[in-house]
Amino acid sequence: MRSHRLVNFLATVTVISIGLVMIIGLLSDQDTVPGIMAAFLLSLVTVIAAVAVVVGVLNLIAVHLGRFTRAERGWPYSIVVLVVAIGVIVLRILDRADIWTGDLEGERISARLFEAVQVSIESALAALLLFFLAFAAFRLMRRQVTVWNVLFSVTVVVVLLGSDPLNLLSDTRDWLVEVPVNAGTRGLLIGVGLGTVTAGVRVLLGQDRSYRD
Amino acid sequence: MENVEVIIVLLVTALAATLGARTLLRRIPLVLRQIPAFDVLPAAAADAVESSYRLHFALGSSGLGFGGSLSTLVSAEVIYRLAQRLAVSRQSPLITLNDALTLPLAQDTLRRAYEYRQTMEYYRAHAAAWFPQGQRSLAFAAGAASLSADLDAVGNVLLGRFGTELAFLGESAMRHDQTLIAHSDLIEGQAIAFAQADQVLLGEELYAGPAYMNPRKVDEGSLLATELLRWLVIFGILVTALEAAL
Repeated sequence: MRSHRLVNFLATVTVISIGLVMIIGLLSDQDTVPGIMAAFLLSLVTVIAAVAVVVGVLNLIAVHLGRFTRAERGWPYSIVVLVVAIGVIVLRILDRADIWTGDLEGERISARLFEAVQVSIESALAALLLFFLAFAAFRLMRRQVTVWNVLFSVTVVVVLLGSDPLNLLSDTRDWLVEVPVNAGTRGLLIGVGLGTVTAGVRVLLGQDRSYRD
Repeated sequence: MENVEVIIVLLVTALAATLGARTLLRRIPLVLRQIPAFDVLPAAAADAVESSYRLHFALGSSGLGFGGSLSTLVSAEVIYRLAQRLAVSRQSPLITLNDALTLPLAQDTLRRAYEYRQTMEYYRAHAAAWFPQGQRSLAFAAGAASLSADLDAVGNVLLGRFGTELAFLGESAMRHDQTLIAHSDLIEGQAIAFAQADQVLLGEELYAGPAYMNPRKVDEGSLLATELLRWLVIFGILVTALEAAL
């Protein structure tokens, strides 16, 4: 119990100190001591983020290995994920070792594979989003007809018509994007910014519990 | 006013308002406006426990270390308060994310909830699952949606940063008859959440979460501070607009 309290105390002191150093550093010039310390801490985060990707990949493999061994629903997909993950890692290692000869000499197969498979699949999925959205607007109206739902659906229709090659309603669409959408985006960002400030203050007061037992 | 001065004024005001409101609220009870999503969330957790199904939380692209760190921490806090209720069940909630740095935070959030309930035997570190981020996070959306469906999650709670990929998660939730409660701090994700979700959290409403679920005085103080800052900003915008017009 006492050791838990000590760990919590040390964690709180560390978080508050680093938070203050970062604030002072970011408000100072880059070549001052606080500025240099803030830059150093940020570069530490970048290094940790790179290492964390390895942890993420291990987690992905562990989750899908677990699903496969327990034969949970959808386990065949887990095999595909595992085979592809291992295949891509092996390809990347072979790329880095410059092992390819003949026509493939100097090629980066892993990058090409990524372009050919990942980008194509993601583009196809992105194209489906339009239908999901149109159907969502339809469902919204079927669920309940309110002023806001009507406004949303009318806006979707205007933007879709305004984007067609015949330039129907294109001026209205431009006005919608430039005025209400811009205003809404700024309002959202200001709200999120203010929430961030107060959440930051809570962290600086040592009241955030995410790093404590 | 320079940016630095604005930041200092905001921080000092938020600090003073949080501490002042915390003291004030010891004597005066706070009455909060109704946010339907925060009424539904505890009920969804209770349903999941009673029916012995999982609840799926997704953090999307929210990540620690860069721009969205604090929104990630707030999302984790909301998840923690719900996970506390879910930790009595053998069916561990599922957390999906695509920022590798956030993975330890997600695992620790679940661990703390199970430790609080003293049910560590039900805790599974792999209940927090990372999916790689593609160009539009669609790889994440596809992976998280299929995992949630395969594990028979009764509902999806999306908190954090989502773009258009939210539509994919929403569509999957609809097909598998899962509840969807969604929030995004990106305008595209927010619009899709409005159209698809059963309940939606708008913009900064996420930050009010801790004040709505098992609140401490500091959480309520923090919420009052946000309100004060909001009115200050509104006043500032009006004054600036009037000054420009005259």
